[in-house]
Amino acid sequence: MNNSKILSGSDLSKKYGELEVVKGVSIYVAAGEFVCLVGKSGCGKTTLLSLLSGLEHPTKGKVVLSGKEITDTSEDDLALFRRENVGFIFQSFNLIPTLSAWENVALPLFPVKISNEERRRRATELLEQMELGHRMEHLPSALSGGEKQRVAIARALINKPKILFADEPTGNLDSATGDAIMEILNRLHTKEGVAILMVTHEAELAKTADRLVRMHDGEIAS
Amino acid sequence: MNVGYLVRELYYQKRRTLTAILGLSIGIALLVILNALSMAYRQAAHAPLKEIGADITVQRPGDVPKDLAGAVFPCSAVTIRKEEVEKIRSLPGIKGMGKAVLLWVFDTKQAWIVLGIEQNNTIGPAVLRSAVAEGKFLEDGKSESLVEMSYARQFGIKVGDTVSVNGSRFPVVGLLDASQAAKIAVANLYLSLADAEGIAASSKNLQSVSPFALGDVNLLFIKADQEKITDLAASLKGILGKKATVATPDSFLKLLGSLFALSDKFTLAASLIAIIVAVLIAFKTMAGNIAERAREIGVLKAVGWTNRNVVAQLLAESIIQCFLAGLLGLLIALVVTFGLSFMKVNIPIPWDMAPNPHFLPGGGDQIYKTLRLPVHIPWTLASFAVLLSIVIGGLTGALLGRHVAKIKPSEVLRHE
Repeated sequence: MNNSKILSGSDLSKKYGELEVVKGVSIYVAAGEFVCLVGKSGCGKTTLLSLLSGLEHPTKGKVVLSGKEITDTSEDDLALFRRENVGFIFQSFNLIPTLSAWENVALPLFPVKISNEERRRRATELLEQMELGHRMEHLPSALSGGEKQRVAIARALINKPKILFADEPTGNLDSATGDAIMEILNRLHTKEGVAILMVTHEAELAKTADRLVRMHDGEIAS
Repeated sequence: MNVGYLVRELYYQKRRTLTAILGLSIGIALLVILNALSMAYRQAAHAPLKEIGADITVQRPGDVPKDLAGAVFPCSAVTIRKEEVEKIRSLPGIKGMGKAVLLWVFDTKQAWIVLGIEQNNTIGPAVLRSAVAEGKFLEDGKSESLVEMSYARQFGIKVGDTVSVNGSRFPVVGLLDASQAAKIAVANLYLSLADAEGIAASSKNLQSVSPFALGDVNLLFIKADQEKITDLAASLKGILGKKATVATPDSFLKLLGSLFALSDKFTLAASLIAIIVAVLIAFKTMAGNIAERAREIGVLKAVGWTNRNVVAQLLAESIIQCFLAGLLGLLIALVVTFGLSFMKVNIPIPWDMAPNPHFLPGGGDQIYKTLRLPVHIPWTLASFAVLLSIVIGGLTGALLGRHVAKIKPSEVLRHE
């Protein structure tokens, strides 16, 4: 881990009508750092993650991701930026039900002008790392929860992102499977040097992180 | 646009795909069938005139002498003077003309329907040349006759006999089977135009109500530019008087009385409705599709698909679905039109165009030209239908692109 910031959010606020969900939050993630954002349900963790990852524009404040300020970037430019710099892991996996495991992994590459063989080669490599080489052609409906999440992690890594955003990645899994997923994330962090910002409400999971950020009622508590 | 993703989406979401394809295909099929039917009725309406090589027939109604003896004109076809014929010939849009003289001849022993024809004119009753069943057709410059076969059988007339008509004698050179011939301009006895003119000109009874000179006629068959038929019909009435009977394909179409034969406006309106219904079905299905796939679209955007990437993918899906719907619609239309092609259509021949004296037994019966509905789907219509389906797919996809842009990944991906 080096100390250069891969992600920083300054004085971030998000209002939905009169309701202020995130209130003047400043936060950063250093390159290769594993940061856990913890807090009770409804405290604004997921909204903050959306603001930091460029899925949503803040009402106030600015976000700098991989050295680029993304606060006022257009939606399409943000999408392109996400494709090259960011990986997402969601609680409910969000795999495309009509695509096979390898196609789901290669999904971010579909709009990229490369051959299908190259897409498949890169997806296969990642699925093998996730020990899913034998499930390449299976549809999500044929995979277990843990397998689905490993496919989702492989998808998040397909473009070699500098940072992974994980929103309750073990929330839909039993504890054993959840532990296995956490092991993968830790391995990515320690061995591959990928920065991770993970949202969770389970304090136990946060223990493995380099740093813990607590949120309470839209603000950073500690 | 990713083809594999597109194919899998259409294949695995069978219910959604089939609903979209079936819905639109019915609209397209309706559009094709309606237009094919409209064209078929138009074509059918051409049949009675086409059979005598004409686009228009013209005659002028008048009086019949009180005493029905010797040669008279039917009340539906009295003299059209030579000068009027020349005036008509010079009208713009006239491509050719055939002349004939139709007479009722009441001799003491029998009555004749006599038709004087131009033997070598391809426009008019001379097309009956192909209907000679025995003997030969009338030769130019010769005073000879052809007798209709059933009439000849009834009166025991044979080729080689001589028939006497209004005091003139004509050798019978052939028998004509008119059963398959046109229903207009048919007769018992066919003579050269000059001979028939001679009979008419020498009939005092006829001259008393409808003065007739050599060179005059009472039936005209006109070949015309298709686009000018309506204008010509009006001009002909201008020359011959408002009461003149001008038969055109349109006038037969009106006699058919079918909804499809009523007007182009009906077909246009019905086609428009079919298209609008098809577009609405396609739009509704695609809109439902996008609403159903909001989460999927959110995922695509989150992993780096731009709005344009997402719209291109959905647009391609929409176009392929609509293209398939177009093909299916065409197939449905082909099956339906094949079934409809067995339908018989009876085209009523107006009484004033029927040559039979209405006061004789059976003379007042309605005559029909019966034919199988000539329904088919021309390539132009088929291509238009498929092209229209693709355009509908493209428009629907493009319109729904705006909805895609409104889908925010952060909102649709927020965990449960």
